[in-house]
Amino acid sequence: MIRRVLLGSFAGLMLCYLAAPLVVIFAVSITTTRFLKFPPMGFTFNWYVQFFSDANYMDAFWLSIRLAVVVTIIALLLGVTAGFVLSRGDFRGKNAISAAFLSPLVLPTVVFGVAMLQFATILGFAHSFISLVIGHIVVVLPYVVRTTLATLARFDTTTEEAALDLGARPFTTFMLVTLPQIKSGIIAGGLFAFIFSYSNVEISIFQSRDALITFPVKLFDYVQYSLDPLLAAASAITVLFAIAAIILLDLAVGIDKALSGR
Amino acid sequence: MLTCFGIPLGMMALSSLHSDEAGWTLANYGRIIGSAYFWGVLISTLRLAAIVTASTLILGYTLAYYIVFHLHNGIARRVVYAILITPLFTSAIVLSFGWILMLGPAGAINHWLRALGIIDRPLDLLYSWTGIAIALTYTMLPLMVLTISSVLQNIDRVLLAASADLGGGPFATFVAVTFPLSLPGVATGSLIVFALSVSAYVVPSIMSGGRHLVISMLIYQQYMVVFDFGFGAALSIVLLIVTFIIIGIYSVVLERSSSTAWEPT
Repeated sequence: MIRRVLLGSFAGLMLCYLAAPLVVIFAVSITTTRFLKFPPMGFTFNWYVQFFSDANYMDAFWLSIRLAVVVTIIALLLGVTAGFVLSRGDFRGKNAISAAFLSPLVLPTVVFGVAMLQFATILGFAHSFISLVIGHIVVVLPYVVRTTLATLARFDTTTEEAALDLGARPFTTFMLVTLPQIKSGIIAGGLFAFIFSYSNVEISIFQSRDALITFPVKLFDYVQYSLDPLLAAASAITVLFAIAAIILLDLAVGIDKALSGR
Repeated sequence: MLTCFGIPLGMMALSSLHSDEAGWTLANYGRIIGSAYFWGVLISTLRLAAIVTASTLILGYTLAYYIVFHLHNGIARRVVYAILITPLFTSAIVLSFGWILMLGPAGAINHWLRALGIIDRPLDLLYSWTGIAIALTYTMLPLMVLTISSVLQNIDRVLLAASADLGGGPFATFVAVTFPLSLPGVATGSLIVFALSVSAYVVPSIMSGGRHLVISMLIYQQYMVVFDFGFGAALSIVLLIVTFIIIGIYSVVLERSSSTAWEPT
């Protein structure tokens, strides 16, 4: 009993630790003072209004959204295909290729960021939308491949065989039998890709230039030079994005199923 | 994938071996090895990563244990998972900004501690190594919890029941059965957290306020401030090698054990 209470209160403390900085961001974003103040004074949505009417922030925000959409679509096409080949195919070097696909997960992103900068500079496409897209795809692709592999590992291939036996063509079988069954894995992979592209700094910071600054890089500049409640409002919007993505993930796959590895 | 990932890294490796004046040379690596400054930064980086790994492991293991063995209510579980992955889905800049608000002299922690009468003068946490470690631990905690909980989840409950039947108390069962079976998760979680902490850039650069350096910040400076690409590339290769060594140690520790890394499904 004592053990339960101790464990329970420890877990409660940990959840406070996890939630506190996010809650504080929301709290500070509604202060009526012109400087950061905790606890906040008064109540206003003024900083949010300012955020949405700030052309600088908005340009960066929409660039990040556009980038994340393009990256997600391409990463899904490549990642799901790669997942299929790796899961169904039987060829030499399969394990090595799997490892190569998943390795960016633990390799230093900053190192890849600077390598990408040098590479793109030599080929003459550095600081462009294309270089951002390519860099982001490399970073998010492993997540898509992993979710696809995990979904396919639980996939029952007999339904596909049944469809083929009953005369369905391979394409029809894929669209009507396979796709619906791996849909949840694809949605989860797509969400991961979108969020990790949307919040990436380590690649974008080396590819940014004056007219091409992603939202996180913009925030990164601000957080180092000007701390004000406007930044808190911009940050709060980002947290809301994360929460929206988590709710989507829960609706699509079920959050504990998606995360607990069952 | 190989073209997108391997070629840029390969080109960087080549450029670390080349200089405009001397042609092909190991001079960049010579400069690194001979620099006491570099070794200082490397040691602080490794120390930070070790502290962060140890603290995420202790905090994360306990939380994962609670979620898997004590949290049975479906809704509570979903809420806990949601709180756990919100930081994972939020940009590291935003999280660091949150920690600036928490740790600053007029920040939330000092406000609460003063309100409770525990301190009279604000603690100097912001822009210190302690502050960096607190924020970095924070960003890594979800990864550790998810990795360990997925392993705990898969432990056969029959073994735990058997231990209890044979007279093992909860503590004995934990020491003799649960913990040894969860070691693959402990190893994988520690690998991920250590590797990501060694190369973390955003959190240390914001939370240090320019007063402390880690390797990734040194690399950034070489590329974006000093414009010494060759030296920056050599530093990057060193960071890459450090990561490979960590992965190497991990695979020796975990040889032939099945992969148990957290897999989002």
